[in-house]
Amino acid sequence: MKFMKIAAAAATSIALLAGSAQAEDKPVVGLIMKSLANEFFQNMLEGAKEHEKKRGDYELRAVGMQNETDFESQINAVENFITQGVDAIVIAPADSRAMVRPLKRAMEAGIVVINFDVSLDAEAKKQQGVELAFVGPDNRGGAKLAGDALGELLGAGSKVVIIEGNPGADNANERRLGFEASVEDYKLDLVDSRTAHWETEEANTVFSNILTAHPDIQGVMAANDSMAIGVVKALESAGRKDITVVGFDNIPAVGPMIKDGRMLATVDQFGQDMAANSIDLALDVIAGGPQLEGWVKTPIELVTNK
Amino acid sequence: MARQTDVLSESRSNEFSLRALINKAGIGLALLALIIFFSVFTEHFLNANNITNILTQITINLILAVGMTFVILIGGIDLSVGSVMAFAAVVAGKAITLPGFGTTEVILLACLAAITAGFVCGLLNGVISSYWALPSFIITLGMLNIARGAALQVSEAQTIYSFPFAFEEFGSAMIYGIPVVFLVALVLVLLAWFILNRTVFGRLLYGIGNNEEAVRLAGHPVFWYKVAAFTICGLTAGIAAIVYMARLNISSPIAGIGFELNAIAAVIIGGTSLSGGRGSVIGTLIGAFIIGVLANGLILIGLSDFMRQMITGVVIIIAVVLDHYRAKFAAK
Amino acid sequence: MAALEQSFRTNTQNSATAPKAEIILAVTNLKKHFGGVKALDGVNFSLKQGEVHALVGENGAGKSTLIKILSGVFPFDAGEIILSGNNYQPRHPQEAKANGVQVVHQEFNLLTHLSVAENISIEAMPKTHFGLLDRKEMNRRARRALDAIGLSDVDVRTTVQNLGIAHRQLVEIARALQSESQILILDEPTATLTERETSRLFKIIEGIKAKGVTVVFVTHHLNEVFATCDRVTVFRNGETIITEKIEDTTPEGVVGHMVGRKLAEEMNNAVPEHTVGSVALKLKDFCIEDNPHNDGISFDLRYGEILGIAGLVGAGRTELLRGIFGIDPVRSGKLERDGQAIEFKAPRDAIASGIGFVTEDRKDEGLILDMPIAANVSLANMASVSSKGLLSFTKERLQARRGGEKLKLKYGKTSDPASSLSGGNQQKVVLAKWLARNPKILILDEPTRGVDVGAKAEIYSILKDLAKEGVALLIVSSEMPELMTLSDRILVLADHQLRGELSRSEFSEEKILQMAYGQTTDTKGIH
Repeated sequence: MKFMKIAAAAATSIALLAGSAQAEDKPVVGLIMKSLANEFFQNMLEGAKEHEKKRGDYELRAVGMQNETDFESQINAVENFITQGVDAIVIAPADSRAMVRPLKRAMEAGIVVINFDVSLDAEAKKQQGVELAFVGPDNRGGAKLAGDALGELLGAGSKVVIIEGNPGADNANERRLGFEASVEDYKLDLVDSRTAHWETEEANTVFSNILTAHPDIQGVMAANDSMAIGVVKALESAGRKDITVVGFDNIPAVGPMIKDGRMLATVDQFGQDMAANSIDLALDVIAGGPQLEGWVKTPIELVTNK
Repeated sequence: MARQTDVLSESRSNEFSLRALINKAGIGLALLALIIFFSVFTEHFLNANNITNILTQITINLILAVGMTFVILIGGIDLSVGSVMAFAAVVAGKAITLPGFGTTEVILLACLAAITAGFVCGLLNGVISSYWALPSFIITLGMLNIARGAALQVSEAQTIYSFPFAFEEFGSAMIYGIPVVFLVALVLVLLAWFILNRTVFGRLLYGIGNNEEAVRLAGHPVFWYKVAAFTICGLTAGIAAIVYMARLNISSPIAGIGFELNAIAAVIIGGTSLSGGRGSVIGTLIGAFIIGVLANGLILIGLSDFMRQMITGVVIIIAVVLDHYRAKFAAK
Repeated sequence: MAALEQSFRTNTQNSATAPKAEIILAVTNLKKHFGGVKALDGVNFSLKQGEVHALVGENGAGKSTLIKILSGVFPFDAGEIILSGNNYQPRHPQEAKANGVQVVHQEFNLLTHLSVAENISIEAMPKTHFGLLDRKEMNRRARRALDAIGLSDVDVRTTVQNLGIAHRQLVEIARALQSESQILILDEPTATLTERETSRLFKIIEGIKAKGVTVVFVTHHLNEVFATCDRVTVFRNGETIITEKIEDTTPEGVVGHMVGRKLAEEMNNAVPEHTVGSVALKLKDFCIEDNPHNDGISFDLRYGEILGIAGLVGAGRTELLRGIFGIDPVRSGKLERDGQAIEFKAPRDAIASGIGFVTEDRKDEGLILDMPIAANVSLANMASVSSKGLLSFTKERLQARRGGEKLKLKYGKTSDPASSLSGGNQQKVVLAKWLARNPKILILDEPTRGVDVGAKAEIYSILKDLAKEGVALLIVSSEMPELMTLSDRILVLADHQLRGELSRSEFSEEKILQMAYGQTTDTKGIH
């Protein structure tokens, strides 16, 4: 897949070239996101573009990746931004360890770096001697909100399953840990926990099979809404209305499902605003504001039909 | 050395061949062994609902694998089917959510859109790789990216949803516990079998896979036959997109990532040679069943995701190694 | 060393025959079979140190087999080889090399993307103390090897693909000679060279000879034999006929030995009595894309006639047939079919106008080996075994049976794969494929290659019957007796050009060979 990475890197550099018609004195902010094939980041980019128009006092250069784990392209993008001398880099890292070193170089070059969405690894930061705040939602806390809603409804001893995101992805891990915390708090019975790689069709298949193996389950916690949709469809095909589903992300497609009760709840982490908020923070620092520290939590909210 | 086309000769001349029977049964026996194994070791495997589940779950892969069989038989490969399916799905998703049309119209429009999208992608794959005699591996790898990008572009990376109820019904309809979408796939298998075994076109596809030059020198327009094989593969990706939409009631631009590999696996496990010229779509049917039964059974047995992935890999390798020996045995 | 003495001696023309010259290789009664085919059937010859020894003979006379045995590619069945007084039985090419026997094959064995130096050192790359490639040493060795054969104008660091054919060949020679060599075998080294390159090669051969190395020179060009060689050994049908000193013989004499037996009586038996009809196919200055010359080939092919085309390998015979049949592009010239100008853009056009083409290579171009006999027979004639695109297996089986009966095909079932048949029967399946179309013109390239004697006779009688039925046949063959038995006329090609035409009464192997070897219109070689 080297080929695709090179292609992505080439695409990245073209995007950067196109954006280099420098506006006079406006500060330049480089926004590096993960896969734009993911609705979540796509929405985030839209939000950031609107934000640039609304504020009008900075120039945005945005870069997206080929897929969720393509950190090589992200490293290239950081290096390109350093070369161009941007004022700030706002980044959603594709790998919480691999991105530490290139970002350190950016900071050494005097660029304000804001890390959002997924936190860089604390251990790696310590090793490299990097102090960098994290701006982002509490994935674990969000998942726990959804899990708690399920636990509240079903009560102790109920049988539940978790449909996980990509194994190894930080947000997938955090969400799973949040669900597991709910399982513990509400004394639920976790009968199975499997990945469906964030994907609807796979979630549909995997969950159908879990349902066959454990027909007595009462609740499902899906680590994103795409997978929750697959679960809901599997329940419909099996004619089961007695199983409660919660998801995460609040994508538009689950709106009707929450409304008519096919899903109990999802979690909105206001992804559309996240990049924009991070850019605001970066511009504050550029303007002479204090350096950020620790974890700047962005809002999350449980969405139900109430 | 010399490979046998027993499947061919047997079905063409209607002459009985024990060797062909053993050959063909070989892969079927493997499926039977898996079924017996899971029936014994899991509680719910033979349960009617689970069988319905398996049939639903293999449908998309089976449809893609039918098209893939055509391409692999002529010695090609199509890596783009997963992406083309996603592209066809979002194009159809856009069509089906158009306001101002009746339910029947939008459904027909969506089906037409999906099939056209698949047709165009397949045609391009075929024309480009055949005209310049380029490896289809590379051309379809390019198409994989083009179609995926187009799917994201058309959908603006958003999941398309809220389809007409009638469409949803089709996706979950059953006849005697058999999903209608699976019957669609089965009809495609039979159609493909008929084309490959009973028509001049099918015969020449086998010929091209074995010895393209001989077919060309016998005066046949090899170029168009190859284009047709790729186009059929694109068409099946379009049909798979319709099934995907009907089953899940969404069109996702990230649907079908890696589906091409499952489709290729089904074809190869089914005994079709990667170098072309030998194999059958009935084998592909069995191959798709083996993959589906394995995925289902291993979850029922409670194996972890990672173990499941490993075992699927092992089965693919065993299938190909066995096929190697089967071909050697048959040559004797 | 002896080399000095040797180089001194080679200054005189007949040095190789000087009584002192030591025999370094002696081959006695060597035999080799491939399956039922006798490739070598009693080969006797010897090499003297420091001589240039030519091996000549028709295609398939056994020269290549002998070379492959000497270089350790094949083992031999019977006989004896003595090299420098010891029994010599190389089991693999490395062993032959270790004994100082080096071969430069007809098809090049260079790795085109590597440098000249890398190619020369490929068998034993020099290493530094750390086990890394010692590039300096490698380049030095290559330089030395190239200088040794006077090839100082080639940079050892350049990649082989940048070199012309002639230089590639010389690099191969340099590679072969860098290790201790007693015998250097050159298999048709001049086949792809221009006149200037050839003369340069001869100079280098002189130099090699001066170092005491024995050079074995396989060639089709007799003028080269007479220009450079000391002795010549003639092969025919797997046997050595004679070894002669160059000064004791003439080109005509050598050709006579190559042809051997007179075929008069065979030919008398074989005169096909039939009338020849109108012109079926006319070529006017027909010139294929790959033809190095601008002037094309013109001839008429008539119904009921068998027209043979003779020529050496590389004379452009197969290329001509492929051009006619619309496989390869045509640069200029015209085709007329039944008096009408016509153009074949693809084989299907030629087939549509009633032409069939039995190709030279049945495994790569003629048959689909893994598919049933019936499917192979119907391959060019799908329309007659199908309706509206649907196959009728019954019709197909009947067609195959009919074809099989007519051609006396020996087979099990029509559903057996073509690969289950013997060579002769496979060839009959190819014939059946075209005969199923009832062609008006049948083009055949080496129709009996790899076919046993019995089947050969059957194929001859099939072809003669076809001519009697009025089919026009155009046959290319490297087997002279075959052409003389079958043909009404023979055209001789050399270097993509028509060198002559012989009518039946004029047929003789000598005449054909003289034309093919360019003895009549000599263009190259003698200095």
